[in-house]
Amino acid sequence: MSEQMSPGEAAQALDEVQRRQQQVIDLVAIPAWYWWAVGGLIVVLGIGVDIRTPAAIGITVPVFVVGLLAVNGWVIGRAYRHAQVRNELLDGPGVLSILGFVAVIVGGTIGLAFTLRAAGVHYPATWACLAGGLVMGLGGPVLNRWLRRVMLGNRAGSGR
Amino acid sequence: MSAAHFDELIHAPTRLAIVSLLAASEWADFKFIRDTVGLSDSALSKQLTTLEETGYVEIRKGFVGKRPRTTARLTRAGRAAFELHVAALQEMVARSGATILPR
Repeated sequence: MSEQMSPGEAAQALDEVQRRQQQVIDLVAIPAWYWWAVGGLIVVLGIGVDIRTPAAIGITVPVFVVGLLAVNGWVIGRAYRHAQVRNELLDGPGVLSILGFVAVIVGGTIGLAFTLRAAGVHYPATWACLAGGLVMGLGGPVLNRWLRRVMLGNRAGSGR
Repeated sequence: MSAAHFDELIHAPTRLAIVSLLAASEWADFKFIRDTVGLSDSALSKQLTTLEETGYVEIRKGFVGKRPRTTARLTRAGRAAFELHVAALQEMVARSGATILPR
């Protein structure tokens, strides 16, 4: 059969191969609201840290933990209902991007909070978490697009 | 071993779609494959059985809570055959001087 196949038919088959793999990759697309939800939860935690009363800690920490579990559970559950994207598609640059993003958010937020406190700013943790939450909300979709591009580039038939 | 091998079994349109989905997955749910490829339960079962008998696909039946769940995954042999098949397709296109741009 391969002898009778035209290059055009082979190209069509390759197109189908790529399209089907893309359908799996698109399953792990994280909705934009997820990043803003996590960003908001970080701000809630920051408020608790600044107020520092037992009541504030007792409310904000559970809201943060339960909220984080809920949004992550929803996103992961949605993706895993259909298929699990092959780990190797993410590759080194993809994993490093995720780790780098988390490091920037966590490190930047904590660093900024200490800097603001040293400068005598009121509610330093809240302000720092607000900045961290903004970076999360704005940067998350960018990270998402980048990871998608990495995975599409690593799928079979992509030319690499 | 050649770096490219045209695989007649994989190349059948429906099976190419199924194997391509599985190639990007660690595993995929039966219903997901069925709905994505647009097959009936019996047609997908038939195709998966063919791929399983060739040693390309592994089918697992289990439960999520009380619901039965069937998943499929490419075996190592299946993944290797798929990659060789894709390489064969790429060679055919390359020989013609055309290029395939990633979507």
